[in-house]
Amino acid sequence: MASSYRPVESWVVAEGILRRTLDAVRPIGRSGREAGAFWLGRREPTAHIYTVVLPHGIGVEEQRGRWTVAPEVFGVVTRWAKPRNLCLLGVVHTHLRGVPPVLSWSDRNLGVRFPDTLAAIIGNGGDDSDHLYWGWYVFEDGEYRSLVQDEVRERIRIDPAQQFEVWKADAIGIEQLGV
Amino acid sequence: MSEQQMGVTGQSDTTAQHAADHPGVDREVIEVKVDYLPAPAPFVRKYRDETVVDTVRTDAMTFFGVKDFQDRNIHKFFLEFEGHILENTSQTLEQLLGPHRRSAHFNLIERVTQGRYPNGLELPTR
Repeated sequence: MASSYRPVESWVVAEGILRRTLDAVRPIGRSGREAGAFWLGRREPTAHIYTVVLPHGIGVEEQRGRWTVAPEVFGVVTRWAKPRNLCLLGVVHTHLRGVPPVLSWSDRNLGVRFPDTLAAIIGNGGDDSDHLYWGWYVFEDGEYRSLVQDEVRERIRIDPAQQFEVWKADAIGIEQLGV
Repeated sequence: MSEQQMGVTGQSDTTAQHAADHPGVDREVIEVKVDYLPAPAPFVRKYRDETVVDTVRTDAMTFFGVKDFQDRNIHKFFLEFEGHILENTSQTLEQLLGPHRRSAHFNLIERVTQGRYPNGLELPTR
């Protein structure tokens, strides 16, 4: 069934989603630990990402060299997202200073493996603020494929619109944060 | 009506035989819905209440195109119901839901039991 989903051809990401993702992961990166965010939206040929969920707290491990989110957190986010017709479209996380922003074996194999899911790696613990310098990948044909910079420019558009939502989730619940 | 909404999924041959041995027992039919966070549409199917949870789990996994597997880690999908991960997949829907419930809503989530290779350190070749 999964292979019959209409492919996502491009993604439109609210600029505020980028900013709030960086705001969330950067302090953790500067303390020497990885962190990350879930980007959600409607799955369509042009997928709009206007919701970021920041996993943090119970069920989230932010460690040096490893960011993991427990299944219970995915459960909380799923129960919240589905009535809103939101899908997980992208998973963004940091690599620490000195570690290239490329998907490691663990990232490729521990992450969400679903067609057209985006994976982005922010280098230098979140200090690389220009998204064009992040590592970008899309899950296609059973594995993550790297997007070259021209493809990132072409397929991932940043929308300056200010309509976006920020949420924080752990294994207990989810709450909205101010934008 | 989409394909996954048609018909009633039964149980294994063993259970079918059990039902044949008890022809007077009417089984409840339960409409099951399973959501998976990355997917745009849920898995929906009707099951008899003697169906075990693992049947729903595997049918939903097939629908979403995911599977359990093991590499250097163990990847296994579970159903979550009302905030609880269903570890006991051999229980029936009736045992889980009680005798009179006609619908149930699950979430499909993945649990990965990790290996020992954090980012940026030793990255084994495949």
